[in-house]
Amino acid sequence: MSRLAGNYPLNCWYVAATSDEVGRGLLGRTVLGQPVLFYRLRSGAVAALEDRCPHRSLPLSYGTLSDDEVVCGYHGMAFGPDGGCVRVPSQENVPYGARARSFPVREEPPFVWIWMGHPATSTLSDPPAVPWLRDADWATFGETLQVEANYLLLHENALDLTHFPHVHPGLSPSPYLGTPPRLEIEVTETTVSYYRDFPPSPLVDWQARTTGLPQDRDYAQRESGELVSPGLHVDRMHVFATGDGGDGAGSYDKILTRAFTPLGPRSTVVHWQVSRNYLTSQPQVSDQLRAVHHATLTADKRLLEAIQARADRFGAGEEFNVSADVAGLRAHRIIEDMLSAERGWQPARTGMPAVR
Amino acid sequence: MSGDAVYREHEADLVVLRRETVATDVVALTLADPAGDALPGWTPGAHIDLVLDEGLTRQYSLCGALRDRTSFRIGVLRAPDSSGGSQFVHDALKEGSQVRVRGPRNHFALVDAPRYIFVAGGIGITPLLPMIESAQQRGVPWTLAYGGRQRASMAFGDELARHGDRVRVWPQDEEGLLDLPAILGDPRPDTLVYCCGPEQLLSAVESQCATWPPGALHVERFAPKPAEPAAAADSPFELVLQRSGITTVVPADQTILEVVEGAGISLLSSCRIGTCGTCEQEVIAGDIDHRDSVLTSEDREAGEYMMICVSRCRSERLVLDL
Repeated sequence: MSRLAGNYPLNCWYVAATSDEVGRGLLGRTVLGQPVLFYRLRSGAVAALEDRCPHRSLPLSYGTLSDDEVVCGYHGMAFGPDGGCVRVPSQENVPYGARARSFPVREEPPFVWIWMGHPATSTLSDPPAVPWLRDADWATFGETLQVEANYLLLHENALDLTHFPHVHPGLSPSPYLGTPPRLEIEVTETTVSYYRDFPPSPLVDWQARTTGLPQDRDYAQRESGELVSPGLHVDRMHVFATGDGGDGAGSYDKILTRAFTPLGPRSTVVHWQVSRNYLTSQPQVSDQLRAVHHATLTADKRLLEAIQARADRFGAGEEFNVSADVAGLRAHRIIEDMLSAERGWQPARTGMPAVR
Repeated sequence: MSGDAVYREHEADLVVLRRETVATDVVALTLADPAGDALPGWTPGAHIDLVLDEGLTRQYSLCGALRDRTSFRIGVLRAPDSSGGSQFVHDALKEGSQVRVRGPRNHFALVDAPRYIFVAGGIGITPLLPMIESAQQRGVPWTLAYGGRQRASMAFGDELARHGDRVRVWPQDEEGLLDLPAILGDPRPDTLVYCCGPEQLLSAVESQCATWPPGALHVERFAPKPAEPAAAADSPFELVLQRSGITTVVPADQTILEVVEGAGISLLSSCRIGTCGTCEQEVIAGDIDHRDSVLTSEDREAGEYMMICVSRCRSERLVLDL
């Protein structure tokens, strides 16, 4: 099974952009190995077309936006938001069937989701719900990061936190450093999630700083993570304060939402958002959390890019698995089943297709 | 060690939101989270377990709308001679009742194809309903032949009526048994056949499809496949659990699943008779003696996975990725 090649299901919602990136200009972007043009209509809705003029193949993003039509920068052909050609300057009639491919898009701020598979099947499912990103009781900030590695390497990395004390020793919450408590894994047909409950222990520097909780007390913690879809991973960290020492009782929750969107087989865009339900009006807490997540995501990026580069140069090697890999292995299986259904025809479970 | 990881399927107590009699002896139950939370996603062909009284667990195919993330719909036939699951559902589950649900999972997945032939027998119509919704949405040509004892016993006929002559309802008392040679026609390389129903129908479709390309026929069984002629008595073999670093022996009178559980390893299992597909494991080495009702003949040939609740090993040593 190759997890380093073109192995992403098409019939799935992926985040193509954040809402603030799409305006009344033409945004050209690669999604799942295909060039896509995004722009906002006067109504506020987002349109997505293949970024290629079906006449002579200049990227439409080289053109201009006129009203709700895209005008190609080569011969001035104009296309509506459904991709249909509406004007050919050099002649009166528009050739029958002249159209650019359009893609179903759903905007749920801060994310713009796209469906690259069979357009009609997009109506059979909705993008995963991430309500905390827009909930007024939560403070959320986010950024975008590109990682030169296959998206499955990113999912594996997100589904296993036993790497944490080794890759991020200064930032690792103190309970991670001992023998990890029991890992509870739950699967459905389309998702895999896990959690661990850590016994009370002191908070490390950044946790104390960002929660405002004292460091001389012990707090129980729970961490959990879920592969929601091939395009989305959600991590949660809970610090449980009892209120005994005058601190605010309750669960201090932080959610890291990561949308993984393959740019191609060896490159992935991560739209990440960090949300918290505490100290929501304090911007310095956002700054501190931003710095922590920058550090961890950048360190992981460096490792995953090295794994991808090694595989590109020397080929994928044999690997062994340990019990902490079980959630990652299940993720492979879920995605493999989606791929084999999309591949059609061949007997199921012949392994992931290796794109050479 | 695997002892530090507990692996289980999603389980939840759901409430019966609606209970409708949709045919003679068939009820359709709509199940939802009591707090109205979203339920796990699923794909056409998926089923759930209802965990009924005293360890009684039964599998039912999901037959609701694909996009509906807040409820599951199942269709349940009262089978008087069954081991009690369907009786319990009919007698004890009312609107407002609570029931434990495990899953969903899918061992009857709809594979993309340019054309489909669906064949249903009786309550076997249930997994085919979402398949039809998906094929219809994609604009892929399909037909359904739906056999049953009599019209009144055949559920969801009204929902299927809107598809016009793509659907052929075939009550036995009016028209006799399904005319499979006419329904299936000559083997076509662009067509997949999906069939669900009683064993008699499945066997007939299997033999009718013998000359179709491998992988063209997909079936789902409600009950275990009839046992093949008993071989000699089972023999013990060595079992290596590679990820856990455990080597042990499976005695003649125990299943692999029992031995693995005895070694303290947490894994998923449900029906323990080779029909639900939950305990499937990846095989690294060994000559597998497949005895389940889930894997297709192509799967068996590939030898990559096995159902460890019933299947065994012919060689002296079996290595699992566990």
